[in-house]
Amino acid sequence: MLQCIFLLSDSGEVMLEKQLTGHRVDRSICAWFWDQSISQDDSFKSLPVIASPTHYLFQIVRDGITFLACSQVEMPPLMAIEFLCRVADVLSDYLGGLNEDLVKDNFIIVYELLDEMIDNGFPLTTEPSILREMIAPPNLVSKMLSVVTGNASNVSDTLPSGAGSCVPWRPTDPKYSSNEVYVDLVEEMDAIVNRDGELVKCEIYGEVQMNSQLSGFPDLTLSFANPSILEDMRFHPCVRFRPWESHQVLSFVPPDGEFNLMSYRVKKLKNTPVYVKPQITSDSGTCRISVLVGVRSDPGKTIESITLSFQLPHCVSSADLSSNHGTVTILSNKTCTWTIGRIPKDKTPSLSGTLALETGLERLHVFPTFKLGFKIMGIALSGLRIEKLDLQSIPPRLYKGFRAQTRAGEFDVRL
Amino acid sequence: MAPPAASQRYPSPSQPSGKSEVSDLKSQLRQLAGSRAPGVDDSKRELYKKVISYMTIGIDVSSVFGEMVMCSATSDIVLKKMCYLYVGNYAKGNPDLSLLTINFLQRDCKDEDPMIRGLALRSLCSLRVPNLVEYLVGPLESGLKDNNSYVRTIAVTGVLKLYHISPSPCIDADFPATLKSLMLHDSDAQVVSNCLSALQEIWSLEANHSEEACREKESLLSKPVIYYFLNRIKEFNEWAQCLILELAVKYVPSDSNDIFDIMNLLEDRLQHANGAVVLATVKVFLQLTLSMTDVHQQVYERIKSPLLTLVSSGSPEQSYAILSHLHLLVVRAPFIFASDYKHFYCQYNEPSYVKKLKLEMLTAVANESNTYEIVTELCEYAANVDIAIARESIRAVGKIALQQYDVNAIVDRLLQFLEMEKDYVTAETLVLVKDLLRKYPQWSHDCISVVGGISSKNIQEPKAKAALIWMLGEYAQDMSDAPYVLENLIENWEEEHSAEVRLHLLTAAMKCFFKRPPETQKALGTALAAGIADFHQDVHDRALFYYRVLQYDVHVAERVVSPPKQAVSVFADTQSSEIKDRIFDEFNSLSVIYQKPSYMFTDKEHRGPFEFSDELGNISITPEASSDIVPAQQYEANDKDLLLGIDQKDDNKGLSNNNGSAYTAPSFESSSNITSQLQELAISGPATSAITPQSSFGFDDLLGLGLSAAPAPTPSPPLLKLNPRAALDPGAFQQKWRQLPISLTQECSLNPQGIAALTVPQSLIRHMQSHSIHCIASGGQSPNFKFFFFAQKEPEPLNYLTECVINSSSAKAQIKVKADEQSTSQAFATVFETALSKYGMP
Repeated sequence: MLQCIFLLSDSGEVMLEKQLTGHRVDRSICAWFWDQSISQDDSFKSLPVIASPTHYLFQIVRDGITFLACSQVEMPPLMAIEFLCRVADVLSDYLGGLNEDLVKDNFIIVYELLDEMIDNGFPLTTEPSILREMIAPPNLVSKMLSVVTGNASNVSDTLPSGAGSCVPWRPTDPKYSSNEVYVDLVEEMDAIVNRDGELVKCEIYGEVQMNSQLSGFPDLTLSFANPSILEDMRFHPCVRFRPWESHQVLSFVPPDGEFNLMSYRVKKLKNTPVYVKPQITSDSGTCRISVLVGVRSDPGKTIESITLSFQLPHCVSSADLSSNHGTVTILSNKTCTWTIGRIPKDKTPSLSGTLALETGLERLHVFPTFKLGFKIMGIALSGLRIEKLDLQSIPPRLYKGFRAQTRAGEFDVRL
Repeated sequence: MAPPAASQRYPSPSQPSGKSEVSDLKSQLRQLAGSRAPGVDDSKRELYKKVISYMTIGIDVSSVFGEMVMCSATSDIVLKKMCYLYVGNYAKGNPDLSLLTINFLQRDCKDEDPMIRGLALRSLCSLRVPNLVEYLVGPLESGLKDNNSYVRTIAVTGVLKLYHISPSPCIDADFPATLKSLMLHDSDAQVVSNCLSALQEIWSLEANHSEEACREKESLLSKPVIYYFLNRIKEFNEWAQCLILELAVKYVPSDSNDIFDIMNLLEDRLQHANGAVVLATVKVFLQLTLSMTDVHQQVYERIKSPLLTLVSSGSPEQSYAILSHLHLLVVRAPFIFASDYKHFYCQYNEPSYVKKLKLEMLTAVANESNTYEIVTELCEYAANVDIAIARESIRAVGKIALQQYDVNAIVDRLLQFLEMEKDYVTAETLVLVKDLLRKYPQWSHDCISVVGGISSKNIQEPKAKAALIWMLGEYAQDMSDAPYVLENLIENWEEEHSAEVRLHLLTAAMKCFFKRPPETQKALGTALAAGIADFHQDVHDRALFYYRVLQYDVHVAERVVSPPKQAVSVFADTQSSEIKDRIFDEFNSLSVIYQKPSYMFTDKEHRGPFEFSDELGNISITPEASSDIVPAQQYEANDKDLLLGIDQKDDNKGLSNNNGSAYTAPSFESSSNITSQLQELAISGPATSAITPQSSFGFDDLLGLGLSAAPAPTPSPPLLKLNPRAALDPGAFQQKWRQLPISLTQECSLNPQGIAALTVPQSLIRHMQSHSIHCIASGGQSPNFKFFFFAQKEPEPLNYLTECVINSSSAKAQIKVKADEQSTSQAFATVFETALSKYGMP
């Protein structure tokens, strides 16, 4: 049971305080927390669960804002963390992002939201579509409306009817003039390549994101051409379990608007679309570096936005790097980013240059890890394909859209 | 609008800044209060917003309470919400003015808009002013019968709030029974789940003194109720599902069919998008099958995949919580993740707290088949940019080496680390090589040749230095320059700040002396002289002991200090399996994250007086010095409970020493290589002698507070006659405190003079003693003080134990009373409160 939630800015200022139970939590806990997090090193700063002298603190940090929750009793830690993550998601959804100014400008809305999301320390509803029915987001339209009509209330007059229906994630009877439903396969490739160029680990984390704007009470069925490759799935509460269990078909009544229908993993992939070949030799205080990047196995679509970034070791005093394609930037914190974009047809992009080591050091002992970024539109690298999307009763003017994309997640190339 | 920056961080009730703005607001609100002009709501809204933004940043705006209430007559829902928010925040401090708000809140509870009804009811219950309780019952009753589920949801939580403010009206109105029927019959899932959480809390609190509540509480765990919830679990939202799963964990299934039924009902919960639901389900599965070994193993297989997905898909914070649980599982069933070890490879961008847990996982899953890959991976991290992780990964390699049979390749890797010539890598590796040699002496030849090449000048960290010195002493015959290196180190005795290193120097010099006497004699002499003159008690004692043993007989000394030794086969585990089991029972709770069972950190009853030392920091019960021993002592104190009385401590000494050394064995052995019984004595001898005086001093201090002052004449005895010369020793107090239930909790206020006098807390102790209430322990710093008092009834010797927490900034005291005889505890509390309220009066 949570007793209090604080929102702290990146300078430790309490932006918002929401007491949840009769046992008030004094604000001084924030000062304690902040003192601790500055005095300790980085690893403490972000430790999600901390025991303070009086309370157990759960924290998550999103875009510089710390969401801090206090409790004095034993509770499932993951529940507190999950809840804070939802709060952060809902707020950023409502405010169109998260930063200090947005929270301060809209603190009334934040209070209203927290009021509906948690009562007496126990989470109530965190479903965005339900919340949106109770409290209108502060968007441009409602601002315009308030100017025109003079009614500045951002609270809708109706109660969330979904709260009473048997499909808690869906408002009753939304109406659209054109019925549209979009399915996106969004995949991220996580990989580790070791210094011998071997693929130590390569897997795909994917999500089926949907945007449903359908009138009435639609019942959808989504099937894949090759569901057997999926390793482990997590479903939105709307997905019925039995049809999936028996013949790997997703059957569901969708929430309204955007949502994440399912997420999955595909393990043990054998190949990456891009290769990175770094080389470092060091001798008598200087160090030569060269990196080649190229297409390993052509996915059939253009590989875009290729970037390679790495942290220069602390003992490097200066670096002189150049490339035959794209741009290289080195920031003051020794983060080096090579923006390649697309790989040209006529040459292999390469980065080369010298690193000067601090005086006294002969050779380099600490090697950087290269982080690769890329994006491929129009293909899901796991090979997952959507077969069809069926609606039980087809509404007029139905439009169905499918897309796929893959990008690099945590793609580390070690040296 | 922005107040000065300083005030934002450390707000206090009497904030000087913002005063003029607040009085400005006050007058503006007053003007608007009666106005019915069009557009007045908009200007009100602006003002309300300002008030609330002040409140948000910590400026005290309670002075506009009256005006806020006067302006609250409005139909604008946002205005209402802001007003509710404000009122909820300040009502407790303004009980009289709160009465004003009751009116409009009650009216709103009858509004035709269900949203307003709900919000008003929620605010009404959030006022939490005890003397307004009578106004709550009516609206709650109608709220529970409301035809809108939103209002019912809020009313149910409201009942719980009412119960917390004041239990009796809640029970008198028969709310628990109403909630029960709602829980079993309401059509709305949220109402049902709120009923469940409210009833669980009410009944478990009531169960202490009502058998009926006890029965009701049990009935929640009956088969029909559990199945009622589990069958419709999909209708509930994710958080309510967590609640139901928590309930299901406590259910005792009747037979194996029952178990399989539940697992079938819940299987798809493992696929839920919310990690909290997944983990709660995992807990149900694990607990249900505890007695069915083969099914239990299948459960591990079943939950593996969902858990691994949670690790890799969630935010780092979620991964952290999950990994902590995985670590618990893997310790119980190492095989489950053996083939999935690649999931625990660290990605470059992960925060270090996740990396650290992943390293622990890699260590735990290593077995014959995957060690090579895991160690290769760990070696990659040793060259990592992140130094803390590099250190951890070297330690992980060492741990794997110690738990494996085939360590060939690992030793080579470790020796390669030494060639990396990075000081922290070298330091960590030295410590590991030392541990390895203790387990696998057969490797000494290879290791020593590499270690011998390391210059002691390059090693600064005490642990590494100690490890190197140990090896110098142990393998003096194989390292040609060992005596000279030691001599060098001994010459710099004065510059050696770590006592651990100095202790090791003494022992190493002795060992070296037995093997190569002529070369070491001079160095040993210097070392013993320096050691005896050392200001550190342990170093002094050890040097003196060596000196005397040498004087007695050199051969005896050799048998004591450097006997032939057996390789260590198993290093003692830091956590007993009993503790691990307890943590496992508390799966999906904070215990797992802290790796301690909850009774060690949440249970206030158990923490009891110990809180002084960790919470308030003024008085320490465990000795603070002698850094080697403190952790074990604290551990033991934690484990067995605290505040041992002096007598009890003396009685237990033999026992606790045994325990203590059992716990400290690994660190002791690693640091001083004890193998013979005699030497263990030699070390634990001075260690305990170092503790005992200190700890008894601590207790003296504690007791001194309570017992030294002369009892003053008792004032006119009130209802209850207390024995002015009551005596209770701390051990008995502690035991009673643990055994007795809290019979009364009460908050009372102190007068300002009392607060002023509290700058010297002893004055309160004397004051209370003059009322025949004796202090047994106290601690704290302004503004928080904590006292433990006891008193004895006369003529029959019944004890009253009291914990009293005083916050001097709010001038409030929280008292908890435990009594041998429950019936008179209220009378005692009255005596106590009266005495306390007179504190500071001339």
